Amino acid sequence: MEILITSFSLLTLAVIAILIGTRGRPMRFITAFGETLAHVWQNRGPLFWVSACVVLVLGFLFFFYASPATRIGAAQPIPFSHRLHAGHKAIECRFCHSYVDKSINPGLPPVEKCLYCHNYIIANHPEIRKEHNYFNSDTPTPWVKVYKLPEHVLFNHERHIKREIACESCHDEVREMDRLKGKRFQMGFCIQCHREKKVNLGCWLACHS
Amino acid sequence: MGSVAVAAGCSAKSEDNLFTMVQATEDMVVGQESWYASTCRECPAGCGVLAKNREGRIIKLEGNGLHPVNRGSLCIRGQAALQGLYNPDRLWMPQLKTEKGWQEIPFDKAEALIRQKAGAAVNRGSGRISMVTETVGRTQLDLFATVLQTFKSPPPVVFEPLAYESLKFAHQQLFGDPVLPVLHMDRADVLLGFGADFLETWLSPVEYARKFKSMHQLNDGRKGVFIQVSPFQSLTGANADRWIGCRPGTEAAVIMGLVRLVIDDANGRQVNRSLRDALAGVTEAYTPEAVARLSGVSVEDQAVVGRQLLAAKRPLVLGTGAGSDGGHAVAAEVAALFLNLALDPELSLFDFNNRHRVEIADRRSTVLDAFDAMDEKSVELVLINNVNPVFSIPGGNRIAKILSDKKRFVVAFSNFMDETAALADLIVPVQLALETWDAYESNSTTMATLQPTMGKITQAPALGDLLLNLLPPEKRPAADYQALVTRSVLAGQGSQTAAAWLKTIQKGGRFSDDSTTGGSPKANLRAAATLKTCLTALPEPEVGDVLMAPPSIRFFDGRGANRPWLAEIPDTLTQIAWQTPALVHPDRMAAGGIKDGDRVVLETHAGEIEVPVYAYAGVFPGTVVVPAGLGHTTFGRWARGQGVNPLSVLDPSVNADAGAPSFATPLISMAITGTRMSLATTSGSRVSLGRKIALSMAIERIGHKDGHKEPGLTMDTFPLTPPTPEGYDPERDLYPPHDHDGYRWAMIVDMDRCIGCTACVAACYAENNLGIVGEERIIEGREMAWLQIQRYQDPADMARVTFLPMMCQHCDNAPCEAVCPVYAPHHSKEGLNNQIYNRCIGTRFCAQNCPYKVRRFNWFDWQWPKPLQMQLNPNVTVRSKGVMEKCSFCIQRIKAAHNTAKNEKRAIRDGEVVPACAQTCPTGALTFGSLMDPASRVSQLIKDPRAYQVMGYLNTKPAVIYLKKVTQIV
Repeated sequence: MEILITSFSLLTLAVIAILIGTRGRPMRFITAFGETLAHVWQNRGPLFWVSACVVLVLGFLFFFYASPATRIGAAQPIPFSHRLHAGHKAIECRFCHSYVDKSINPGLPPVEKCLYCHNYIIANHPEIRKEHNYFNSDTPTPWVKVYKLPEHVLFNHERHIKREIACESCHDEVREMDRLKGKRFQMGFCIQCHREKKVNLGCWLACHS
Repeated sequence: MGSVAVAAGCSAKSEDNLFTMVQATEDMVVGQESWYASTCRECPAGCGVLAKNREGRIIKLEGNGLHPVNRGSLCIRGQAALQGLYNPDRLWMPQLKTEKGWQEIPFDKAEALIRQKAGAAVNRGSGRISMVTETVGRTQLDLFATVLQTFKSPPPVVFEPLAYESLKFAHQQLFGDPVLPVLHMDRADVLLGFGADFLETWLSPVEYARKFKSMHQLNDGRKGVFIQVSPFQSLTGANADRWIGCRPGTEAAVIMGLVRLVIDDANGRQVNRSLRDALAGVTEAYTPEAVARLSGVSVEDQAVVGRQLLAAKRPLVLGTGAGSDGGHAVAAEVAALFLNLALDPELSLFDFNNRHRVEIADRRSTVLDAFDAMDEKSVELVLINNVNPVFSIPGGNRIAKILSDKKRFVVAFSNFMDETAALADLIVPVQLALETWDAYESNSTTMATLQPTMGKITQAPALGDLLLNLLPPEKRPAADYQALVTRSVLAGQGSQTAAAWLKTIQKGGRFSDDSTTGGSPKANLRAAATLKTCLTALPEPEVGDVLMAPPSIRFFDGRGANRPWLAEIPDTLTQIAWQTPALVHPDRMAAGGIKDGDRVVLETHAGEIEVPVYAYAGVFPGTVVVPAGLGHTTFGRWARGQGVNPLSVLDPSVNADAGAPSFATPLISMAITGTRMSLATTSGSRVSLGRKIALSMAIERIGHKDGHKEPGLTMDTFPLTPPTPEGYDPERDLYPPHDHDGYRWAMIVDMDRCIGCTACVAACYAENNLGIVGEERIIEGREMAWLQIQRYQDPADMARVTFLPMMCQHCDNAPCEAVCPVYAPHHSKEGLNNQIYNRCIGTRFCAQNCPYKVRRFNWFDWQWPKPLQMQLNPNVTVRSKGVMEKCSFCIQRIKAAHNTAKNEKRAIRDGEVVPACAQTCPTGALTFGSLMDPASRVSQLIKDPRAYQVMGYLNTKPAVIYLKKVTQIV
């Protein structure tokens, strides 16, 4: 993405410079090269402002849509890393999301569950202290939702886990992610899989109600 | 439980945060419900409830199947108890009245204030504290008494607006004790009522609805007989085989006429000689002609009732209802007991060992005396527990004056700013029934328990704990109220272990299997003298108009008026929501030149009210019925200024013998104001205009070939067409049959069992997140109910009513499906007509094309003011503006059954899916199941000769099959 945006901006600037230098007849760039350069130099003031605007606009677009932050998902109240816990330490998904095979919701671990380990492991790390504070002040941790479904869809985790659909097929390789990027699920994504597996396609019977 | 966090709520916008619990509660799995057994305290009947808890909040109440009172059902008010719990107008903090208005104070300060005031009062002498409470369990009542005794004051007065004084008086005269025995109505074969509204408010409505249908159901081509003689038909009378109107206040005369008939019946039953002697001088005057003259019940009608009674094997006579008037009701109740004695000397249908809890309520005269005594005895501290006498007692102004006297400090333990609490000096909210530990003896053989069914949403203490804290530590009977409840519940059972306690609260109480019929006490026949004095003391019945203000099935005495479901669900008989109409006989209206919707001023000796008129054939001409319950001046956003309170213009005096209040009073005038009002009615027509909508059939025609018509295509000859491939006929079907995959869901509605109580409608509102639209929208015809109880009057006799529960018929040939441009109504593999909300673009073609008019359009985004949104069912989408919606057959419950069945690798069993409406029906009128299973109950019931489809001649092939109501000529 970054390469794309950079090359696009350089290309735009070059085209603008050529158009100005050849007074709108770009083929003269080849036939009268020196004259073009002179014209460019004559118009260096406006050219500077134009390029500044282009860089600003493209820079804004870059930081808005393609900044590194957009690739690692929302910041959480505590910088919990799935890569570390699920990947490196290989903790089973169900240890924390323990209702995933018996309820529609997988469940999030209660604060006390984090402290099962973190009472002993890096218990005094500033981020872990935060977790202790949540526990001591009896406050639920406000995790930020990253996998989003519209409100009129009821996804049943239990059924999918019982059909042995891997967590990764919807949630991607969380074992490789520090901050989860998350997803905004669309109906096409669900339907595609339901069609392939020849399973329930009833509107209400499957997902809505 | 304080740690329970509320997970993502329900709104059109999805939540951005997911909250975790701090500590996991072991019995909570997010996304799954847990059930807690408790007891409903919306009225003194005390039905058992199961509270469905999702992520820490209750989203639905269902009846507790183990509880002997309600056996799994709930009434409309029980369903709406949640709207008390989550009411946005609930008081969250104690309110102290200051010169600048209400000031919020913390709970500990409120408690200290009460302790200080109590201490000051007791220092000045005994009897300085007075308490008025609602009907409570024995544990709480004993605690009240202990606390008051410590403060040298008399025990509390139990105020219940409907306290059945006259019935208790009758029992006291005949059997020595003012008791309210449970009746074995289910064992009766002939039931004769004189106004007792046992399907609405009388004693224990859910219990008697079940028992009534048990005696009144079709069984081997026969069914019990129910006759009602009363000035106002009410819902109960509308369910009678015959309703006979009588002049208000003449019920006693009619009963005496029947007593005379039974006693003099030479070849009839054995009437006890001593009873005959005792009544010898009393009955003579009540010849049929005299009774007819007095009551307006014709000699023929009396003969009909008499014949039924004499022919009966196990007759049961019920007296007047709660909404009757003082002295007349007393005479009628005594007379009715004598009639029962004459018919059945053993009184085998009365269970004197099992009595309703409401019998502990003090009579009205005692309550009024207690208020008067506050002035005389210079009471300094008044404690009021969850009652609203200022609203529900006629002449409430007098009580208001006593309470607002500056000399005394009034504490109201109330969660709402009602009329009485508004006059208090301090309002202390306490935990509601669903949030607290308690025990309640629904009847004398039942010990029902209450437990907190959810985490705390308020800081309010339990009333028991608050009172315990008032006692000095050494005098406290227990450390906290929960311990006191545990002890008093365990005291009555053998095992005292913690496991036994857990088992008891898990079941919702301790229930004896069946009450022992230990025989009835011997009747004291000298009561005949009382009967005679009561009868002779009766004034001549009114010749002019009489105003009656009966309690209503929806609001009870008015305590339900702040629950929007109760106001929004229309009264079955009038189909009017949100308003208080005056029901007037059409003849009387014609005589006075009054039309439907005309506003009239009703003037009595106590004042006047202005109400719109609605023509109703089920009242005795000259009786004007204004149902009580609405007309609050304060009590939250939904109650304030809505409707009219007829109790305010009733005669405030009470009967001298029984201390019974009067719910009827003579009208001085009924004057038309000239203004009109749009009635918020959901009914398009009173009659079915000759179409095949609500059908009934005479009992003797069941099993006969229905006429000799060949099946054809006309309205009268169109055959029953099941919504299955068998119902496909290439001759008349345009579309090919649907192939159903495993199940074809269908519902059987037995109209003979439907009593029109609308409990199902409230259950549907609760289960399916239906919006509340309010009075104006209903006048515009924009109601949202997925399920309606429609009533159709018989054009030949407008007092005869048939109830028709109407919901989406899930047609196999659905007219709505064909007209949608975006294919939003979708026919599922299991036969359901699905409305796909996110596909719907709101053309409303489907609603236009639906012959049953069951589709509802969201004209607005409906509001659930906080914390009412906590009640929303997370398994059901909250529909937004511009979307069509309708009954889904509780698809979420079908899906849950699929889930369980798949886990257990089997098919869904018959009866496993129970929609919310069928679950709560007290009479079992609704049956749900799959037509693909030939053994299922619906497949059996569809073969019933009474089965038909509403407007089936349109070839819509509805999946809701109705069974015709069975009428019998009495």
